[in-house]
Amino acid sequence: MRRVVIDPVTRIEGHLRVETHMDGRIVTDARCSGDMFRGIEKALIGYDARVAQQVTQRVCGVCPYAHAEAAALALEQAMGLRPNENGQLLRNLIVGAYQLQDHLLHFYVLSALDFVDITAILKYHGNDAGLNTLRDWVRSELDSGKIFPAAPFLPRYEGVYAKDQELNISAIKGYLDAIPIMADLHKMVAVFGAKAPHPVAIEAGGVTTLPTIDRINKYKTWLAGVGHFIRNQYRNDLLGVASVFPTYFNEGKGPGNFLTFPYFPDSSGENHAFVGGATLGGNYQALDLSRITEDHTHSWYRNEPSSGLKPLQSTTLQPLDWDEYQQEIARKDGKYSWTRAPRYGGEVMEVGPAARVINTYRSGQHDDFNRQIDGINRELNIGLGEYDSVMGRHLSRLICSLQILERLEAQLHEVQPDKSAFIEQDMPKNMRGYGLTEATRGALGHWIETHDKGYISNYEMIVPTTWNMSPRDAAGRPGAVEQMLIGTQVADPEQPLELARIVRSTDPCMACSVH
Amino acid sequence: MEKITRREALKKVYGAIIATGAASFLSFDDLLAADKYVDKRLNLVWLHGSSCSGCSCSFLDIEYVPVLDILSRFANVIFHPDLSLATGDQVTGILDQVVDSDLDYLLVVEGSTPVGMPHACLMGHKPFVEWVVPMAKRATACVAAGTCSVFGGVTRMNGMQTGVQTLPELLAAQNIAKPLVSLPGCPMKPEHLVYTLLHYAMKGTLPELDLQHRPIHFFGRTIHERCNYYADFQEKHYARYIGDSGCLINLGCQGVVTRSDCMINGHNNNTSTCIKAGHPCVGCASEHFPRQIMLHRHDDPRVIKRKF
Repeated sequence: MRRVVIDPVTRIEGHLRVETHMDGRIVTDARCSGDMFRGIEKALIGYDARVAQQVTQRVCGVCPYAHAEAAALALEQAMGLRPNENGQLLRNLIVGAYQLQDHLLHFYVLSALDFVDITAILKYHGNDAGLNTLRDWVRSELDSGKIFPAAPFLPRYEGVYAKDQELNISAIKGYLDAIPIMADLHKMVAVFGAKAPHPVAIEAGGVTTLPTIDRINKYKTWLAGVGHFIRNQYRNDLLGVASVFPTYFNEGKGPGNFLTFPYFPDSSGENHAFVGGATLGGNYQALDLSRITEDHTHSWYRNEPSSGLKPLQSTTLQPLDWDEYQQEIARKDGKYSWTRAPRYGGEVMEVGPAARVINTYRSGQHDDFNRQIDGINRELNIGLGEYDSVMGRHLSRLICSLQILERLEAQLHEVQPDKSAFIEQDMPKNMRGYGLTEATRGALGHWIETHDKGYISNYEMIVPTTWNMSPRDAAGRPGAVEQMLIGTQVADPEQPLELARIVRSTDPCMACSVH
Repeated sequence: MEKITRREALKKVYGAIIATGAASFLSFDDLLAADKYVDKRLNLVWLHGSSCSGCSCSFLDIEYVPVLDILSRFANVIFHPDLSLATGDQVTGILDQVVDSDLDYLLVVEGSTPVGMPHACLMGHKPFVEWVVPMAKRATACVAAGTCSVFGGVTRMNGMQTGVQTLPELLAAQNIAKPLVSLPGCPMKPEHLVYTLLHYAMKGTLPELDLQHRPIHFFGRTIHERCNYYADFQEKHYARYIGDSGCLINLGCQGVVTRSDCMINGHNNNTSTCIKAGHPCVGCASEHFPRQIMLHRHDDPRVIKRKF
């Protein structure tokens, strides 16, 4: 038995420690620790109901838009209000663009260089100015005798990287070119949302920005460039990586249960592109929110009871103090994470793009979608079962991106220029509501209660990475990513590249997961 | 042929330099020659305290720059949590090596440091405070990136239990006397950091700062002083609801008490601002952020409290 620890896990959002035990080179046990706590949801108590939108965005600087949307939806439910068509469309245009940005960030900046060989740039002989600059720079760094040559690209875990020179060069170029495309996507968010990260203009009642012709046309111009990049560069690089790492359709299998919330409606707020629901034991069933509970038996909090808690059941969440924390980490089988453990009907669930694809497919509600998935599966010689894997999750991000892209192109034309996208209405007091959406990383829910002056009296967020990165629950069942790691064979336990690939395939957002 | 395309590429980079206001001390010829200024490249170490990575994401948005292009010319990014390929022990090894070396480096700290609950932010099984203090002691200069790092922001909102210190407070408490730049904003604007880095790289000094260590170039005036609706304010023409015309002050606008360059340089390459989006300024760059009420109906009788 040996202990292999990855701490900190970089190229994710936030602070994550992964501790595994190995028998030979096979992982027999894994623990994931969310290593940063702020306590934002309970700190919201006493703030105005509308503040939730602005503050919960700050849970996460990578996917803030989803918290803005969930918070606005929760208030709208309590107000009995639906945004007008322009309000819904503008919200979709903000949310959709942000999600595309986030998928590109994840593939190129955060995870591609776990597969693609950055040192392949040294053998580049073409005439692309950017690539030549990068090659000359890496070469001069390696020749310089500095203590950290070619940082931040080196050092890295050494292992088996892609050998296909054409793929390596294409993906490195994709990395360089994706950054300005991501900036354009953030401009698309800003043109209707005011800024990115942390768009302020999504409020209960719609979006405060007036959709002028000028703004619509700017969005359209950027969208054209983005569409070209996603349909060509991103698609080719992702399918290229998938084709040279086919075994990764079998690595990192999780609990096999998938949870999603309805996401990306049309202008009426209905007919979502992605279906809400749960796949349990291979069968799809409609969403039942009453089955969601949270558990913190292995999390650094002291409240009792520690399991079976429904959203809003607790108005406090008492974090352990330093001495208690020290005792827990010293204790065998003690508490080991700030992240809590949400469960659905008691089951461990995976959320995220693969869950969106699997649940939408299994629901049978969108024939076109299913035909598209069937086509991709034939091309790659995989089945739906292979989406529960490292490469399946990467592939699902591409599929989700193409779906969102199509809808953004269509919905932009439905916006009525110069017509308000916001409905002003009194905010009820003593109210209760919830809002559900899909953040980039999966199912996101906000629950809110206010008292008689309209200030927040209770707030709860159950966030995608909380599902994926949960610790063990009272029954001792490991969380989804922990299950993905257990059973994995590692070539070199000193440089556990395979484990890093599995963890990053879920696109962890640790600041979200603990909040 | 290659020379010309490189020149073309650098023209774009220079566009970004003009946009940040750094053209006053960095000419296009300087940029062309920058490859030769190897000794002028700044070493940069970026750490995440109690934070959300929003400032890091914002940094990647610096317009038209091939961020890595600027970085490879003006800085050596020794460590960044979201960019570095280094993982696990490689990271703690790099940071330990930096502290033990005689390397000159600039430390960027995104987020605050929970000292009341040191275990509320951990890295490599150690409290964050045990990383940031030795890193700051050895740094040539420090940058507080974003409102959490400068004023506490969301990590110090009412009801927080983690007892955070801002970077200026931490340096003072630890008697670490270092040149310090504070770049508030939630998130920090990428132009503010790039301007600061270029100023430091080219001139060897920090830009001119106010008493709170903010570059006067960006934070010399309030948002209100440069607002599109300033004339409406003077005429007492106030908006009463979202979408109404006039100054947004009665809807809770924080532009009067918030210093930043939003109304000049906007967000996301001047694509918009909160006020242009029809929303009152939420004061994300101010020491009062987040306020108890942000979107305040003109007839709302509630008094905004600081502690509750």
